[in-house]
Amino acid sequence: MNDSAREIWRQGLWDNNPGLVQLLGLCPLLAVTGTAINGLGLGLATLFVLVLSNLAVSLTRGLVQPEIRIPVFVLIIATLVTVVDLVMQAWFSGLSRTLGIFIPLIVTNCTILGRAEAFASRRSVGEALIDGLAQGAGFAAVLIALGAGREIVGHGTLMADAHLLLGEWARSLELVVLPEQVGLLLAVLPPGAFIGLGLLIALKNRIANIRAERTRSVSGPSPQAA
Amino acid sequence: MLKTLLTLGLIGLLAAALLSGVHLATRERIADEQQRQALATLNQLVPESEYDNELVTDRFSAWIAGLETPSTLYRARRDGEPVALLADVTTPNGYSGDIRLLIGIAPNGDVIGVRVLDHRETPGLGDEIEVQRSDWIRQFSGRSLGDPPADQWAADQRGGQFDTLSSATITSSAVIEAVRSVLAWYANNRDNAFEIESEVNSE
Repeated sequence: MNDSAREIWRQGLWDNNPGLVQLLGLCPLLAVTGTAINGLGLGLATLFVLVLSNLAVSLTRGLVQPEIRIPVFVLIIATLVTVVDLVMQAWFSGLSRTLGIFIPLIVTNCTILGRAEAFASRRSVGEALIDGLAQGAGFAAVLIALGAGREIVGHGTLMADAHLLLGEWARSLELVVLPEQVGLLLAVLPPGAFIGLGLLIALKNRIANIRAERTRSVSGPSPQAA
Repeated sequence: MLKTLLTLGLIGLLAAALLSGVHLATRERIADEQQRQALATLNQLVPESEYDNELVTDRFSAWIAGLETPSTLYRARRDGEPVALLADVTTPNGYSGDIRLLIGIAPNGDVIGVRVLDHRETPGLGDEIEVQRSDWIRQFSGRSLGDPPADQWAADQRGGQFDTLSSATITSSAVIEAVRSVLAWYANNRDNAFEIESEVNSE
């Protein structure tokens, strides 16, 4: 993997993560993350749309005049989301009902339009593909982490309803982490989503700070940071 | 200018073509899936072995007082004899909006059972109406309009004979009231409920 690709991955997964740093797409992020599987389902759908829209935008970047680029982006994204919505209704109807309106709402996820405008419309197809994968994976990772956290605290389970996404064999994936009836209701309700996301962002910043500190003390005789 | 228009038009055409293709490819499967879903729901109350008609298409709409309109009623029959009336109804009186219920009634007016199809009640409190979470919803089985008497068809918190879910009196009452409304409708339409022509032509 060359340096540029590695840098794009690092941006998407960590330094410029759409969920934790850019704070884009918060509406679906907060709304569907009641369980890990919901997070995974929406994460995969978003990843898929993001990769395809980055590809389509990068492929057409020479052909589309600057004045009409935004309507073209919106058209591309809306088409892809509709395709994903129809495919999910046909083959994953259980999950499609759980995620409900949040699949069509991927259209409004600013991450996708943001990446099209800021990255894909200026870079090669290869780089746009990697960026789509990296940003999508970064977003999905936050969805899954938040979903898993809220599910454990709120329901005491992990990977419940996995069969909706993965088929019947996945029923056995469900783990009971905490004994029944100890779930903290707050975690499942909307405030739990905000608190959980806040904690995740704080954790990310803490890790980033520690790492920055370490690099500083290794690389030079700099005085202790304030 | 013309070139811009052409570009936008071309991309629009491509998008439309792609969408038509996907729509054609998934249309049948989505319809099947919805049918299967509807049937799975109805079979929660009347198992497949107890009827022999096309349950999903043997249905009609009715306006039932106190409920969102119209409600859809399905009829299960065996050898042409009525087995059950299944009412897919929505009450607007939940704690956080609509509660959609499936209420099964035997031809003699007894409740076969009640299931919640859709709701937005509070997790941990109102969602105890789901059969997966508690047995509360099973208390209606075997009850009818005379058992308990009409004025006792209410939550015990409100002077009736039915259990109330703790901290969810509004949710409990909404469900009890919906079941009572459907039973009252059936009492008035007993003679023709199984006679009304089906709205769906058999396909």
